[in-house]
Amino acid sequence: MVERWRLLDTGLNNAYYNMALDEAIAIARSRGIVPNTIRFFRWEPSAVSIGYFQSMIEEVDVEACKRLGIDYVRRRTGGGAVYHDRDGELTYSIAVDEDHPLVSKDFQKSYETLCSGIVRGLRILGVPAEFKPINDIVVEGKKISGNAATRSWRVVHQHGTILRRVNPKLMFTVLKVSSEKIRDKIIKSVEERVTSIEAFLGREVSFQELKDALKRGFEEAFKIELILGEVTSFEKELAEKLTVEKYSTTEWNFKR
Amino acid sequence: MLLGVYLGRAEFKVEGGKLIKAHVEKDNGRILKVKITGDFFIHPEDFLEELEGALVGRLLNESDLGTFIKSLAEKRGAILLGISPEDLARCIVMAGESSG
Repeated sequence: MVERWRLLDTGLNNAYYNMALDEAIAIARSRGIVPNTIRFFRWEPSAVSIGYFQSMIEEVDVEACKRLGIDYVRRRTGGGAVYHDRDGELTYSIAVDEDHPLVSKDFQKSYETLCSGIVRGLRILGVPAEFKPINDIVVEGKKISGNAATRSWRVVHQHGTILRRVNPKLMFTVLKVSSEKIRDKIIKSVEERVTSIEAFLGREVSFQELKDALKRGFEEAFKIELILGEVTSFEKELAEKLTVEKYSTTEWNFKR
Repeated sequence: MLLGVYLGRAEFKVEGGKLIKAHVEKDNGRILKVKITGDFFIHPEDFLEELEGALVGRLLNESDLGTFIKSLAEKRGAILLGISPEDLARCIVMAGESSG
């Protein structure tokens, strides 16, 4: 019998609740309250998230965010700063037991395995995606998805972005780009380094079409069946608490 | 700035890896305070805070720091992704040597 995981589609939420709910799901999974879970979500308002080890002041133009009504939040995962456009991006997260066969002790290997669901989903749409170490998914060398993971309480929590449509101008308005990093990329423009599903396919792809493809991608790659479920009251209450006490606080967001 | 205290910063992009940024306050060639940021991964995440504390008082010597960071990471079972102990040491020393 094929293994069943829960699928959540939590729609649009603000950055603080989005990050809090991801943590709440991982905690719920660690307590055996919920099955292994894949969640799709979006951001309203659009937001910037930074990696756990990044400095908000160094990475984000906070004043521009305030002016544009863009949220800014620190993630519990490492990795880089990301602009999450309300209409341009779909975000996913996975909460899976650390001792699940899909999870390797080797962190790099686990990225590749957990990203294989996204890769497969994008290929279903006709986008020839490939995993690129350390934590990216690329199409013809251009980044289309960034991913980040952490492990706590014997649960792996990985989340990542899937670009449906890209707005480099706004991305550059809210993110400060390090001169060193630009030099490393030989001053390629964002347009040359980043692509999106719609840019590649040259047609509109609805969020529903994207989610359907990704659901199938995860099911085929992980050999699981995804059953659409609901956020439990435990997760909702914990997420609300984490929103207030952690993810929306200055202490957390500006800790580095 | 306090007399004798020197604040420096540096960025180091690991080839094929991640970006490290270091802020270092030094006195007499030793680390008074260090803050490391970047888009790398360290598991568990709180290892970096422990490391920053453990680096206080150490000499700004790249190979010594590299050895120290490596052995502390091994002791704690910490895993670094996209950066190595040597990369961290290099960036810290670069920050220590920078003109602020």
